Amino acid sequence: MERRSFLKSFGTAAACAALLPHVASAADEAKKVVGPNEMNYETAVAAITGGKALIPSAKVVISAPEIAENGAVVPVKITVDSPMSDKEYVKAIHVLASKNGNVRCANIYLTPANGEASFGTRIKLGGTQDVVAIAQMSDGTFLTAKQNVKVTIGGCG
Amino acid sequence: MKTLIKIKPKDYKTGEVVKIDFMAMHPMETGMRKDKDTGAIIPANYIDEVKFLFNDTLITKMVIWESLSVNPLFTISFKVPGAGTLKVIAKDNKGQSVETSAPITPKG
Repeated sequence: MERRSFLKSFGTAAACAALLPHVASAADEAKKVVGPNEMNYETAVAAITGGKALIPSAKVVISAPEIAENGAVVPVKITVDSPMSDKEYVKAIHVLASKNGNVRCANIYLTPANGEASFGTRIKLGGTQDVVAIAQMSDGTFLTAKQNVKVTIGGCG
Repeated sequence: MKTLIKIKPKDYKTGEVVKIDFMAMHPMETGMRKDKDTGAIIPANYIDEVKFLFNDTLITKMVIWESLSVNPLFTISFKVPGAGTLKVIAKDNKGQSVETSAPITPKG
């Protein structure tokens, strides 16, 4: 509750609600601004996997802070255990933020020339949520891992 | 769009896996933020594609959305096959494109 009152005191609550419809309260819902690439988690996952099952795997490692003080800049690093040979490699790494207005962050299409399957970046998180990584392997399976990140100040403005 | 390529570590040999950092100065507007004075919505403006090429062969292609932070950073691994030129092409949703090159010079 402290976080909410803090935001309201700054008068940015409305702006936050617009940016992050999924974490907004019902009263703010009317003011919701839909972004250009609005997509929810289920639709995004279906678009990536084409209906195939996601297999939770220890081969996919997400390193992100458990508590992010600033939701606007959250460092995320993803590594996938793979030999990255011509026969067996990671085709793509998909990064999703489960409760952002547009859950899709980045799709990384790798080749064996990478040597290792890793990707690092900084993402915006609207509120406390799971960061999900989906690795598309060359054998057609989809491995996944997720990590919850607690955000104390949302990534608005 | 100002860009920067960093290769870590600085000294590497052929066959070694290095980290390539690519940074771009970009506002990464979500299209959901309002101008504080006018109340008008600031149109979306974000990098939507980044390509890494070595000697004009594609290594990695990224499709990006607005959820990435302002002045985004991209880090990938790269197994150095020999000397050559690394080229990074970044494009935003307004069609603005930038090309940056860095030499790959393995020692030994």
